[in-house]
Amino acid sequence: MSKRSDGFRHRGARSREASVERQALTPNLAAMLGRDDLRDVDTPVAVEPPAGFFEEVGQATEKNFSYVAELIGFVGACAHATLRGRWRRVVSWQDTLDVATETGVKAVPIVLLVGFLMGVIISFELGLVARQFGAVIFVVNGGAVAVLRELGPLMTAIVVAGRTGAGFAAQIGAQKVDEELDALRTFGLDPVEFLVLPRLLASITVVPMLTVFADIVGLIGGGLVMQSFDVTYLQSYTQLLGAVHAWDLVLGLIKATCFGLIIAAVGCHRGLTTGAGATAVGQSATRAVVSSIVLIIVIDGLFAALTS
Amino acid sequence: MDTRPVIRVCDLRMGFGARILLDAVSFDVHRGEILVILGGSGSGKSSLMKTLIGLHDPLAGDIFIKGTSLVGADADEKAHLQRELGVMYQSGALFGSMNVLENVRFPLDRFTDLPLIQKNRIVRRLLRELEMLAAESLMPGELSGGMLKRAGIARAMALGCDILLLDEPSAGLDPITAANLDRTILSLRRSLDVTFIIVTHELQSIFAIADRAILLDPVSRSIIAQGRPADLRDHSNDARVRQFFNRQPDALAPDVITKL
Repeated sequence: MSKRSDGFRHRGARSREASVERQALTPNLAAMLGRDDLRDVDTPVAVEPPAGFFEEVGQATEKNFSYVAELIGFVGACAHATLRGRWRRVVSWQDTLDVATETGVKAVPIVLLVGFLMGVIISFELGLVARQFGAVIFVVNGGAVAVLRELGPLMTAIVVAGRTGAGFAAQIGAQKVDEELDALRTFGLDPVEFLVLPRLLASITVVPMLTVFADIVGLIGGGLVMQSFDVTYLQSYTQLLGAVHAWDLVLGLIKATCFGLIIAAVGCHRGLTTGAGATAVGQSATRAVVSSIVLIIVIDGLFAALTS
Repeated sequence: MDTRPVIRVCDLRMGFGARILLDAVSFDVHRGEILVILGGSGSGKSSLMKTLIGLHDPLAGDIFIKGTSLVGADADEKAHLQRELGVMYQSGALFGSMNVLENVRFPLDRFTDLPLIQKNRIVRRLLRELEMLAAESLMPGELSGGMLKRAGIARAMALGCDILLLDEPSAGLDPITAANLDRTILSLRRSLDVTFIIVTHELQSIFAIADRAILLDPVSRSIIAQGRPADLRDHSNDARVRQFFNRQPDALAPDVITKL
């Protein structure tokens, strides 16, 4: 058996017959380990066998499905609170406006930047391929449809999820940790009506508005890139009018509304289910972002399947 | 004069699922009384308080607030009953986005149509009563522990509640601040006839302010003593009660004592 002088157990000591020689322990620690009365606190450490690949996948799937079921129940509770009508007395319109300002107005610069770059990138990539076939003008068609139906709502939602969804979870989570939610309940106020509904209302209103901004700058970015492929603004504009329909824009805005609902619902739900302590608040914020982005992409896929 | 108890707890059983925390708990609280709920860690004091204010549903039994059942109430009635009770949480639970004045005014903003000037007048009177007037524009993060608790009491009283439940009001306070808070509680009882239910561990505070104490025991999961704190300390036949009030540690086995 190999020995180590630091007093810690080493690999060889795992054998049943092995004995451990302790060296260089501080006197207090050595005295503690030598005390017979502490023997009864020795309990065998239960080592769970590592789960197999399929078991882990199964557990993760079950966990995610139960989370989605819980989230649907939460959205149902919000809908019930809205239909009950009491929220008209409870919801503060000033709070809703404040949340909408924070979620919307302050997100405009980043949404404009991301939307513009998306338009530029998608048109440039399409243009490189289309040029080989002499079909550069049709890049306007592809770029415009991609921006209006997919990239505008999707990128806006991802920006808002990162910026605001995490904020909702952290804010409500911190309020829970500080017993503010209990304080609200003792005033007879339901946190769903008081905290969640204003955020839901703000989010489903603001995300489509931001999407319109992202769409506009995305199309402008695309038009700008078309210049480098010798397509003038006027040509791009004329081609655009023939390429897109009102439905493309409306579909994008319907998606954006759904994404707004998901961002607020996930953020608020993660906040309300925050555990104890400051670490739990951080975890809720992180999970809110991850869950909402995954759900946004899943819902986007469903829309693509349903509208194809 | 109405001699009915302001709060009556009947055969309350509470817990989480199959885990029973307290069973067969019954007691009355009378107008103007200061009742202290005591017990070791894990005895269910805070859970009992949360059940009294309707945040947890009991497994069995009932709670009557001024004669109306809290358990049988629908959502609107429950919300109405909850507004009969003012609650101060251990941390103060002030809303972090509002200053002291706005925090205390919050229930008035929500539940009254009073003009702002009148609401502010009510709030400032309460803050003066609690010696917090100078701190009205401070944010919760700028307040000391004692100030947070005073502001929490002021907010709990803003709707004119005459029953206040305080969760560990002296916890984490220095002796002078804790004594000042005790004086405030007695002063509020004297001037506004407020009834207090206080969850605390602080023996000095208990002897200074409590009219009556109930002691919860985590082993028997019930009330093991009720009465005046000094009587319980000096005359109780129950060794657990005397141990609690005389602040004695658990007895150790003789062989352990020799090794120590």
